[in-house]
Amino acid sequence: MPRQTLLSGTSFLGTFVLIFIALVILFATDTFLVRIERAEDRTEASRLLAEGREMMQGGRYPEAAERFKDAISIERDNRDYRLALANALLAGKNFTEAETALNEILQKDSTDGDANLAMARVLAGEKKIPEGISFYHRAIYGRWRADAAQNRLKVRFELVDLLARQNAKEQLLAELLPLQSEASADLPTETRIGELFLSAGSPARAADTFRDILHRDPRNTDAYAGLGEAEFARGNYQLARADFLNASRLKPDDGAVRLRLELCDQIMSLDPTRRGLASSERYQRSLKLVSLALDELNPCLKTPAPAAATELADAAHKALKARVGELRQSAATDTNLDLSEQLWRARATDCGSSTPTSENPLALVLAKIAQ
Amino acid sequence: MLESLRQNENQLTIVLSLLIGALVGLVIVAFILLTGRLAARMYPAGGAGWHRILVPTLGSLGTGYLLWRYFPLARGSGIPQTKFALFVNEGRISFRTVLGKFFCCSASLATGIALGREGPSAHIGAGLASVIARRLGLSQDRVKALVPVGCSAALAAAFNTPIAGVLFSLEEVMGDLHASVLGTAVLSSATSWMVLHLVLGDDPLFHVSGYRLVHPSELGIYAVLGIIGGLGSVCFVKLLLGLRAWFMRLPKWSVWLQPAIGGLSVGVMGYFVPEVMGVGYNYVEKVLNGDLVLQVVVLLAVLKIVATAVSYSSGNAGGIFGPSLFIGAMMGGAVGSVAHHFLPDYTAGPGAYALVGMGTAFAGIVRTPMTSVIMIFEMTRDYTIIVPLMISNLIAFFISQRLQREPIYEALAHQDGVHLPTPESRSDHGRTRVSQVMRGAPVLLAAATSVKSAIDLVKDHHVIDGTNAVPLDAWPVAEGRELLGMIQDSQLKQAASDGEAAKTLAELGDSGFRHHRPEAKDFPHVHPDHTLSLALERMGTTKLHVLPVVSRANVRQLLGIVVLEDVLAAYGVGRSSAAQEYNE
Repeated sequence: MPRQTLLSGTSFLGTFVLIFIALVILFATDTFLVRIERAEDRTEASRLLAEGREMMQGGRYPEAAERFKDAISIERDNRDYRLALANALLAGKNFTEAETALNEILQKDSTDGDANLAMARVLAGEKKIPEGISFYHRAIYGRWRADAAQNRLKVRFELVDLLARQNAKEQLLAELLPLQSEASADLPTETRIGELFLSAGSPARAADTFRDILHRDPRNTDAYAGLGEAEFARGNYQLARADFLNASRLKPDDGAVRLRLELCDQIMSLDPTRRGLASSERYQRSLKLVSLALDELNPCLKTPAPAAATELADAAHKALKARVGELRQSAATDTNLDLSEQLWRARATDCGSSTPTSENPLALVLAKIAQ
Repeated sequence: MLESLRQNENQLTIVLSLLIGALVGLVIVAFILLTGRLAARMYPAGGAGWHRILVPTLGSLGTGYLLWRYFPLARGSGIPQTKFALFVNEGRISFRTVLGKFFCCSASLATGIALGREGPSAHIGAGLASVIARRLGLSQDRVKALVPVGCSAALAAAFNTPIAGVLFSLEEVMGDLHASVLGTAVLSSATSWMVLHLVLGDDPLFHVSGYRLVHPSELGIYAVLGIIGGLGSVCFVKLLLGLRAWFMRLPKWSVWLQPAIGGLSVGVMGYFVPEVMGVGYNYVEKVLNGDLVLQVVVLLAVLKIVATAVSYSSGNAGGIFGPSLFIGAMMGGAVGSVAHHFLPDYTAGPGAYALVGMGTAFAGIVRTPMTSVIMIFEMTRDYTIIVPLMISNLIAFFISQRLQREPIYEALAHQDGVHLPTPESRSDHGRTRVSQVMRGAPVLLAAATSVKSAIDLVKDHHVIDGTNAVPLDAWPVAEGRELLGMIQDSQLKQAASDGEAAKTLAELGDSGFRHHRPEAKDFPHVHPDHTLSLALERMGTTKLHVLPVVSRANVRQLLGIVVLEDVLAAYGVGRSSAAQEYNE
């Protein structure tokens, strides 16, 4: 239809010019409005983040998570908000959602140290220990925005703590060796490393570490206590006692050290293998061991007991009643020690006893004799 | 260049589609941003509860007055108004209405009125297209053709859904998915979408974690969601229409005050449940991510239905697209929460159901199932949930169609005394095919026949129209079994009077066969599957009352003829009067 109804050339051009002017003005307006919006959004999101952090400090984790989610809905690409959300969810033990939130950060940057650490914590919380350990390693070797060395050390300590809790001694030792070289030479850190060596089943390294500390700080109670534990673990109860005694002198009100000292005394009073004991004393101690082992076995004998255990108990009773002349005491001591070991083993195998052994002087003395 | 544009309407239309796309995109972005910033100022963080009552009440009072006094056509959603402009008002939407819609709607939504921004955006886009086209002095047809172009661009920018924007314009506004404006609508929609991305960046409207069908039996639960969504949609539509009818019965002088009733109602609801206010897309996102509990989503679904119905029916400016998505998401979230509670191993989380629920409510309320599927896909960019979405949508669509015969936009127009053509009525109109009125050719003239013999042959042949014998004015001419064209009675007589009676029809050549050309494109014909309207149009163009009906596989194969009288009879128009009009 009517081409003739179209505007004349000038008006036609004028309309297009108007459209272009409108486009330019609108573009400028939109850009201005977008700038305002983004600035206001950032402010609002920061406010929500601060609110959420306050709530986290107050232990209100679900509410904090809501605030962080609101902040994320405003600034979707902000990694800090997602990390805060993940940490809030983790603190509230909402592991599944925390994992989802962290995955979104890690999809964008798989080397993010904070996110890897949080993910490791989430997985550890979910009892997925091997996966958790893998994320701890990613965090250790990942990228940190600030204090990279300090953060890596912190993560490694967290990892070794986890491994210590899991009693994964080999892995723990493998983590401790680089940690020892990376960690700063401050005494609390070294003390902690020494303790961790003990947990990793490496008392010799622990002892070296504590000695090193004591060399620099001879009045370090923790180092004496640690060294005592290291010597104790190695079966050097006399040395351990000396160290615990030093620790106790420096810190007389430390109950734990006192208990360890008492334990050392008990062990030493029972130990028939100590040098310098008269043969009669050794014999008496062997009888004491038989008596104590029999006491441990006795509860099994109340119920219908295996014949072997009953026989051992009878033998123990005989040994305890026997009158042994001075000349035969040495041989009788060996027999008694052998009998006490058998009684101790029978307690476990025939009666299924599960009395803890680490604090039991009898068990420790027998273990030393067995060595 | 401008001169060549002026001379070529097709080129001009393409250029205008691009310009309208860009302009509408920028306007809609400004609309969204302005509304957001205004809302942030109306409801600062930590604001007192009474704000939520006062602000929407005063806001709707102010906008109500402006709408009544200055912008009466800017009320409501904008979709019925766009359709009214397109089908009744020759594509006319005034610039004043566009301005009114922009500012009143922005203010209204910012104050917390529970309506959406997409319907008004469509109206603004369509209005801008209309204003530009009329200012350029384009023909009415071109103006009308540009209205859906503006509408597509607006929806593409408002929802960030370029395909759904086009589909909606065709499916709902035009009522025809094959409308000829498809190309230009796509152009403007794409341009608008690009502008949106340029200004706001590439972010979907909702961020959803990838959902999938957990177990095939889950489809049953999605079907249940479809039923609930359909019923919920019907409740919403009936409540809205009922309330609107009630408001329309109130005295005329109260029209400017009525929006305040909506504002106050929303304010009171918002005092207790703030989530019900405004567009509420942030809560939609929350439910999509499974962050809202069952009790909350049920409460929000119910309250939003009431709030939107009151807001809209009281005459506030704002649309129902956004609220449809909100209501649907909440309904879906509720169904999903229950399903996941009882069948955790066989169902996805509530978020997946909320996502499908959005489409379900949209299909049930707006009644555009195709658009809703594509829209949800585009809004979330999540393809995996598309099958459940389609099932649920169709169920909701059919339930809604069954229980609420009249689609919401037609019903709203009806209440205003406007009878818009429904998509069904429009497609019925063009549905009658040539095959339904085709006749066998009474005579087939051989090309070797002389003019005199041909006159003798055809003089006694006619077609019967009711009780009347109607002589034919043109006859098919064939060579062997190949149709050559049509020769008119008048041409035969002219040849005889020119002393060419002994000549054969073939010898008359081009002077005899006005449309006898070897190229099929110039051969006047129709196919059996063509619509009668097309046949009528071709008859008008060729000035023939009779057209040959030919095979699609071979245009030279004559299947029959179609006669003007039969076409008119199919439309229910009397032969004599119609023929007279036609001849005039």
